[in-house]
Amino acid sequence: MITSDSLPPSIGDRTRKFIKRHDVRMSFLYGSFFTLLFIFLGLSFYPKFMPKIMSEQMQNGKEVIVYFTVISAPIAGLVLGIALYTFLNRHKGDTPPPDGPAIRTNTPVILVWTVVSSLFCLVAIVWGLVEMNVASSEAAENEPNAIVVEVTGSQWVWNFNYPEYGFSTDKLNLPIDRPVVFRITSVDVNHSFWPVQLGVKVDANRYAVTTARTTPNVLGVIDIKCAELCGLYHAYMESEGEIMTAANFNSWVKAEGGHTA
Amino acid sequence: MTTFANKTQTAPKPGRSLITKLNMGTGLVVGIVSAEVMYWLSKSWFDINEAAEINKILTLSMFAWCIGFLVGIGAFIGPFRWLIGKDLTAEEHLYMAGEGQGISRYFKYCTDHKVVGIQYLVGVMTMLGVGGAMAMMIRTNLIQPGSRLVTPEIYNSLVGLHGITMIIALIVVSTGPFGNFILPIMIGARDMAFPRLNALSWWLLFTAIITLCSAWFFGGIPTGWTAYAPLSVQAGPGMNAFIVAIIIFAISSAIAGANITTTVVTMRAKGMNLTRIPIFVIGATISVAMAIPAFPTFMASQIMAAFDRTIGTGFYDANVGGSGWLYAHLFWIMGHPEVYVILIPGVAVLLEIAPVFVRKPLFSVNSAILGFAGIAGLSFLVWAHHMYISGWSPSLNGPFMVTTEMISIPTGLIFLVLLGTLWRGKPWLKLPMLGVYAFIWNFLIGGVTGIYLSDVPADDYLHGSMFVTAHFHYTLMGAALTGAIAGLAFWFPKMTGRMLHERAGYISFWMVQIGFNLIFLGMFAAGSQGQPRRVADYAQTFATSDLISTIGAYLTGTGMLVLLWAVIHSWRNGKIAPTNPWGSKTLEWTVPYPIPLENFHETPVVTSDGYGYGRSN
Repeated sequence: MITSDSLPPSIGDRTRKFIKRHDVRMSFLYGSFFTLLFIFLGLSFYPKFMPKIMSEQMQNGKEVIVYFTVISAPIAGLVLGIALYTFLNRHKGDTPPPDGPAIRTNTPVILVWTVVSSLFCLVAIVWGLVEMNVASSEAAENEPNAIVVEVTGSQWVWNFNYPEYGFSTDKLNLPIDRPVVFRITSVDVNHSFWPVQLGVKVDANRYAVTTARTTPNVLGVIDIKCAELCGLYHAYMESEGEIMTAANFNSWVKAEGGHTA
Repeated sequence: MTTFANKTQTAPKPGRSLITKLNMGTGLVVGIVSAEVMYWLSKSWFDINEAAEINKILTLSMFAWCIGFLVGIGAFIGPFRWLIGKDLTAEEHLYMAGEGQGISRYFKYCTDHKVVGIQYLVGVMTMLGVGGAMAMMIRTNLIQPGSRLVTPEIYNSLVGLHGITMIIALIVVSTGPFGNFILPIMIGARDMAFPRLNALSWWLLFTAIITLCSAWFFGGIPTGWTAYAPLSVQAGPGMNAFIVAIIIFAISSAIAGANITTTVVTMRAKGMNLTRIPIFVIGATISVAMAIPAFPTFMASQIMAAFDRTIGTGFYDANVGGSGWLYAHLFWIMGHPEVYVILIPGVAVLLEIAPVFVRKPLFSVNSAILGFAGIAGLSFLVWAHHMYISGWSPSLNGPFMVTTEMISIPTGLIFLVLLGTLWRGKPWLKLPMLGVYAFIWNFLIGGVTGIYLSDVPADDYLHGSMFVTAHFHYTLMGAALTGAIAGLAFWFPKMTGRMLHERAGYISFWMVQIGFNLIFLGMFAAGSQGQPRRVADYAQTFATSDLISTIGAYLTGTGMLVLLWAVIHSWRNGKIAPTNPWGSKTLEWTVPYPIPLENFHETPVVTSDGYGYGRSN
């Protein structure tokens, strides 16, 4: 005769029993805490550290960090939740603890874990590829009416040449909302051209021209730095610039001795 | 051969053999004399007033030092005997194994794997001490904007020497001491497959380190540890020390890699089939096997740099058709596998520790192996993520982003293995086990920030900033070095016969880990704010973040000194350790201290893996 005792427990029973376990509940509690903590840090703490966001590229870079933090928060929470529970549930004493359960493997758990981490990876990959694709197609569209700036790095100064206006200077001023194409080279060692608030960065290589594209969309001061160790005064290889209105930009060009169209 | 172990512990008498007369002292004398002779000779060949000629003179002298040292310590006696159709006598063999020679064997060309392991341990600790002291100077200089405690010239040298010293130290930090001392005992072997090569790998490393240190006297290494060309071609005479040290180190690591790999493949005890190999052995083997294809490209890159600097070739000179990108490729084809060469053995140590202290089997050994293998395989396909913004080929950024982000999947498996092992366990929080928890926290941060950086739009902003510095310190120091320190605490009783001072160990652990997180969380902030890395000075904006980093650095540094005290004190006066203080089930805990010359009186037979803990449930 079959009684209910001799049947293996149903999945529902096993799940109910599982979620009633103290270690499961506590790990879940700690995990939720860490998840919320990381979501909070990603959404409201991290952006405070970014400098002023003055282009779409910079916005993209910030979003990657903020949203990747939010997506990875549950995974980080799970890991830290379980770790914290076992840490607090430690064995005290000077002799080795009694043996725990001999769990050697658990195929469903491994499968679920692998699938979830692969999905997370897939999201990250697709996110990045889409963003890169959008950025490069926008740049191609904007190319015809872009302002070209030839950037030359040398130990330890930046030089900016505006071929359209026929002058060069050590300041990088740009008109707002007009696409800009940087053509970058170096006359000696490698440098890395970094207009910080614009969120783009490209190395300056000797006898090679590299390109960076962006469209400044906020008025304000920008810092230009060198992001590749280039010798003695690398730390001081800085320059300044400003994103200005078209009218201000034109008068600056005239003051610098350039000719406006 | 088994009879060796049963002999009384008196030094064998190989008669008037040359081997008995040679040691580190004679090595130093012959090495320095060779370097001096080469210096005077080459000075008469080349004009010392010209930069390229100075490079020739110094490079030749440094190679002469390395070869002279090895001659002086007796590394070539065996090969020379073969050349004239003889070999070492049995007594000489036994003498070289160092049995019964007390402390002096640590200063000889000793073939006993346990002696080589201790030599590596002391060498690595010295390097970490020197590299750490340089890190303190770097952080002190960055304590506030415009502090200028050192000149930019010295600062750049500090950055470069700190970097390369720590990288070399971390490459060998687990596979050197534990891979040589513990690994053969773990697999039930009587020694390494090639004991003389084992000694050679250590003493080559020793000459490389001394060469690297000589850079201080020739103006330092102003290029960072990456030594990008053309900056490295332009750099002063100190750069020669870097080039020679890397070439020698590449040979040393190739020898050590071949040795450890062969040992694990051919010398396992009876019954230790592939599924019963301890996870540390697997991790260490994968790590050194990765080093074998990786480091030759580093060596090649430095040989070309040496040619560019001395005889005027133009491998990296765009003016004559070379390219700086060539250097970047060669460097990072080594560089990315290399970070996993560092990481994997450190993680493997922690995977070895966790089951012992949780008293549960290692969860899903297959996932751990798959994780290591996946990381190792993918790591050879991701190098150009270091070159997203170099401009060499923006259209290839996409594919490299895909391979890079895929590494998160095998890395995730490692976390799963650790979590599965902890799950439902009551861990015994001794010092080694604390390392497991520190790893989980640190590597989680290191890993997630790695995913940010692998994404091209985020890297466009963060590349070359302090954010990157913080990220790789979280993985290399927070994960790999933490694993190695946990391994030291774990195996200290077996390596020295004494227990590590517990209280000092705990104090050091918390100081180091809290300080470490302060340094690099501060640095993440500085990088996000836009502070480039490797800068001797910075703007007021970054002042708070950098101050936090510097405070953390002092805390970490003090904690490391406490650990150093604990190690020295315990080594000399610590509590005598029982044979198996942690109740571990792997083979190395079955041998008594002092471990007999050939480890086992009777060859062990293995019937199960080392993780048979736990009640059936």
